[in-house]
Amino acid sequence: MATTVEQPVDNTVEIPGERAPLVLGGLDYAAITTTVCQVAERRRPPLAWYIAFWISFPIMLMFGALIGHLFLKGVGVWGNTSPEYWAFDIVNFVFWVGIGHAGTLISAILFLFRQNWRTGINRAAEAMTIFAVICAGTFPGIHIGRVWAFYWLFPIPTEHLAMWPQFRSPLLWDVFAVGTYFTVSLLFWYMGLVPDLATLRDRAQTKLPRMLYGIFALGWTGSARSWHRYEIAYMILAAFSTPLVLSVHTIVSFDFAVSQIPGWHTTIFPPYFVAGAIFSGFAMVVTLLVPARQWFGLKNLITIRHLENMNKIIIATGLMVGTAYAIEFFIAWYGGVESESFAFQNRVFGWYSWAYWIMVTCNVLVPQLFWFKYIRTSPLLMVIICLLVNVGMWFERFVIIVTSLSRDYLPSSWTYYRPTIVDYGMLLGSFGLFMTLFLLFCRFLPTVAISEVKNVAPRPHH
Amino acid sequence: MVSTHAHPDHAKAHSAPRPDSELIGLLAEFEDQDALLDACEHARSSGYKKFDAYSPFPVHGIDQAMGIRRTMLPFFVLAIALGAVVLGVGMQWYANRAVFSPLFPGFDFIISGKPLWSLPANIPVAFEVIVLSSCFATFLGMWYLNRLPRLANPLFRIERFKRASDDRFFLMIEKSDPQFDADQTQEQMRGWGAAAVEAVRLDLTDHQIPLGLRRIGLITGLLLLLPPALIYRAQHATNPEPRLHFMPDMDWQYRFGAQNVGPMWYNDRVPQFFFADKSVMRLPVEGTVPRGGLETDIELFRGIKAGSKIPDPSTAPPLPTTPPADEQEAAALALAQAALEPEWVTTFPAALTVDQAMVERGRDRFNIYCVVCHGYAGEGDGLVNERALELAINSPIQKGATTNATWTKAKSFHDPEVAKQPIGRIFDTITNGRSTMGPYGSQISTRDRWAIVLYVKSLQKAWIDPPKPTIPAANVPPGASDARPSNVSPTEGKSDEKTDPPLLDTKGN
Repeated sequence: MATTVEQPVDNTVEIPGERAPLVLGGLDYAAITTTVCQVAERRRPPLAWYIAFWISFPIMLMFGALIGHLFLKGVGVWGNTSPEYWAFDIVNFVFWVGIGHAGTLISAILFLFRQNWRTGINRAAEAMTIFAVICAGTFPGIHIGRVWAFYWLFPIPTEHLAMWPQFRSPLLWDVFAVGTYFTVSLLFWYMGLVPDLATLRDRAQTKLPRMLYGIFALGWTGSARSWHRYEIAYMILAAFSTPLVLSVHTIVSFDFAVSQIPGWHTTIFPPYFVAGAIFSGFAMVVTLLVPARQWFGLKNLITIRHLENMNKIIIATGLMVGTAYAIEFFIAWYGGVESESFAFQNRVFGWYSWAYWIMVTCNVLVPQLFWFKYIRTSPLLMVIICLLVNVGMWFERFVIIVTSLSRDYLPSSWTYYRPTIVDYGMLLGSFGLFMTLFLLFCRFLPTVAISEVKNVAPRPHH
Repeated sequence: MVSTHAHPDHAKAHSAPRPDSELIGLLAEFEDQDALLDACEHARSSGYKKFDAYSPFPVHGIDQAMGIRRTMLPFFVLAIALGAVVLGVGMQWYANRAVFSPLFPGFDFIISGKPLWSLPANIPVAFEVIVLSSCFATFLGMWYLNRLPRLANPLFRIERFKRASDDRFFLMIEKSDPQFDADQTQEQMRGWGAAAVEAVRLDLTDHQIPLGLRRIGLITGLLLLLPPALIYRAQHATNPEPRLHFMPDMDWQYRFGAQNVGPMWYNDRVPQFFFADKSVMRLPVEGTVPRGGLETDIELFRGIKAGSKIPDPSTAPPLPTTPPADEQEAAALALAQAALEPEWVTTFPAALTVDQAMVERGRDRFNIYCVVCHGYAGEGDGLVNERALELAINSPIQKGATTNATWTKAKSFHDPEVAKQPIGRIFDTITNGRSTMGPYGSQISTRDRWAIVLYVKSLQKAWIDPPKPTIPAANVPPGASDARPSNVSPTEGKSDEKTDPPLLDTKGN
C-alpha cells in the first residue's frame, strides 16, 4: 500500500465536545493490521533503512572493538584521572538511563492516566527504553576495571571470597535498580508484543517466520478469558513500573547526592533527575519516530497529534529542569556553604562554562520554541529541537559530574578533564548499538501496538 | 505403516479404523464486536458453560457478557510481593549482619561510624526486589493461568481463524459442554448472527513434535551438558600451570622503586632525568632530623652515661674474625671488646618515672616480644628457642642444602654474666640486638624498651629473692606445695631455703 496517505483531518485542532481522532486515513481494523505488519512482511525495507543500518552497524562493531581494547588495556585508555574518576563513562550511563525513562512513562504512567494517545507510540518507546538501558548498563559494566570480577556486584555466596556487597552504598542500589528496570521493561514490552506477534504469525506466508513468530507468540489465540487476565496483568505491571521508573533515576541521582562533593550533595537531585530523564527521553522518542513514521508508512497511526502531545511534555519537563537549575543556585547562595557556592560559580564562569552554557541554551531556551504551534507540529523543526535537547541533556550530566569532580575540596588536585579518542569513540559507539537495535526492531517486529490501536480506533460503520 | 512384515497389525488397523480426527467444538465467526457480545450473551443465557470468545483486541464488556469471574492473579501477586519484603530485607540483613553463619557467613561493613544495621539504607534494594519479584509473579502467573504457552492448538488449523488476530470475532462452544449438540448448537449460532459456523476438529494422527525440532532439541541438550562437564573435570584435575593472569598491569607498572636511579621518561628516545644525580628521588639535606627523631638525651635513647666518652669503632683496631685459638687470644679479644663498650648507665634515665605502671607495661611488652625466645621467667626456654634448638641438633645437612641449621641459644637472664650487666647494656641489646637476637629498636618505642628493661630487672631480682606469698600457711591445702615451683617456699618466715644457693646452681646455669 502507499506509504503516504492524504490527511484530510487535522487532528491537532481541538473541537469542543469531540475527541480528536487518533487513527487517520479512515483505516479499519484490517487496514491497521496491514499498515503495521507490512513493515515486517515486505521483502526489502526502504533505502533509508539500509543507509541508516549500514551507518549504525559498523559503529556498533567499533563500540565492541573499543570495549575489547578497554578490557585488554584497562581503564587507562579513557581520559579519567584523579580527581575525575568518573567522566564520560558515567555521563553516558546517566544519559542513556534517562533516555529509557520516556518509554516507561508512556507505557505505564500514561496507561494509568488513561491517555489513549499513548497506544500509537508506546511499543516503539518501550523498545527504545530497553535498548537505551542496554547502552546504559554497558558503561558501568565496563568501567569497573577488573571486568572478570563483575559478579562481585551481586550478592552471590562464594566460598573463596567470603564477602558480600555493601548494601548501604548507592552504587549497589544502582545495580539493583537498573537491573530490575531492565528486566521489568523487557517483561512489560514482551507481554505487550505477544498479541501482535500472534498477528504476524497468523499472517506469515512462509514457514520460518511462522515458526519464529509462532514460538514467541506462545500460542496466543485472543481468547476473551486470556484477554481478561492479560489486561489485569498489564495493569499490575503498569502499576509496578510507575514507582519503579521514578525509583531508578532517583537512585541514579543518589550516586551523586549521597556523596559530599560540592554540587552533588543536594536533596533536589531525585526530582530534578527524573524530570530531566523524561525530558531527554521524550526528545529521543520524537527524534526516532518522526523518521520511522515517514519511512515505514505509519503516519496514520503515529499522527501529528501524537508528536505534538510529546512536544508539550517536552516543554513542561524542560521548564521543570530549568526551574531546578535556578533552585540549585538559590540553595547554593541561601545555604551559605562556601565550597557549594564556589562550585556553582565555577559552573557558570569557570573553565567548563562553555559546557554549562550549551546546557542552558539547549535545555532551557531552545524548548521554548515549542510554545509556537507551527514549530511543535512541524516534523523537521521538532526533530532539530529534540536533537538539541538531547545534546543539552548530555551536557547537563557532563556539567554535573565533571565540573564538580574536577574542582573538589582539595585545590592541589584540581585538573582540567580531557577525554581521549576512546572516550569519544565509545560515546559514538553507544549510539551505534542503540540505533542498530532500534532499526532491527523496526524491521522485524510490530512498531505500533496493533491490538491497542484497534481498541482506540473508530469503530467500523456498516 | 507401510512395513511389509507387520501384517497382523495392519489388518487390525483396517478392521477397526481409528478416526483420524475428533470433533471438539463449533466455531462461529462474527463481523464486529457487537455481534460477538450479543452472541456471548445468548450463549450464556442458553445455558452454555464451556465456551470462549476470540477477538483481535479485548472487547469492552465481554467479561460481563460471558460471565467471566475476576481472576485471582492480583492476590497471587500480593502474596509474592509480601514474601519479597522478607526476601529483600532478609537478604541484606544476612549479607551484612549474619557473621555467625558457619557457611557463607555475612560480612559486617563498618562505614562512616554508621550503625551496622539501619533500615533506611536498605529500603531501595528491598523496594527493587519487591518490584522484580512481583513483576515476575504477574508475568508468569498470567501465562500459567492462561495455560500458555501452548504451541499446538486445533484452532490454528482453521484457515478463517487466522483473522481472529486481525479483524474478525469468533465464538467457540466446546463439545464437552453438556448442552452441546452439533446440529442444534449450529442452528443456534446462526440464529445469533454468525457469518459462518465451522467444526473444530482435533487431529489425532499428527501429535508428534517435528523431527527437525527434536534433533535441534537433542543437540542443544547435549551442548548444554558441556559446560558442567568441563567444570566437573576442572574441579577434579590438577594443573601445574599457574592461574590465569588476566590483566598483569598491576604487576608490571611503569614506576621506580624508592631510592632507585634511572630515567623518568623518554623524549624521542633521549632519557630524561629529574635530578642531576639521575636518582628518582631527592635525599634529605644533611642534618635533617625526621619527625620525632631528635634524640638528644643520650641516656634515654642510647643507655649511655651522659658526658662519658663513646669509643669509636672505626678508629679502634679491627677485631679478629676467626675464633680465638687459645686463652691468651680469647683474653685479648675480651679486652678489645670491652674497650669498644661505652660507659652504660646503671640507673634509669631521669626522663623516666619508674613505678608499678612501668613494670606492668614492661611485663605486657615483654610477654609480646621477648617471651617467645626467653620464656616467661627469662630462663631462655621460650618455645621458639626450644624448637630452633631441636631443629639445629636434629637436622642433618639436607640434600642440596649448603648450611646446617644453626642457633645460638637464647640467654637466660639469670646467667650471672647477664645478671651483672648494667641496665644501659640491656637496653642496648634490646635496641640493636646481639648475636642471633635481632634489633627491636624499630618495633618497640624507647619508653617501652626501658619498661622491658625494668621488667627484666624485676625478673632477675625475683629469681634471687623470690617474693613471699601473703597467704597464711593454714590456708594452703595439703599437697599444694608440691604443685608450686620448688624455689618458692609456701611457708613464711621459718624457711632458710629462700636464699639457698643451689637454686641458682640448678636453675641459673
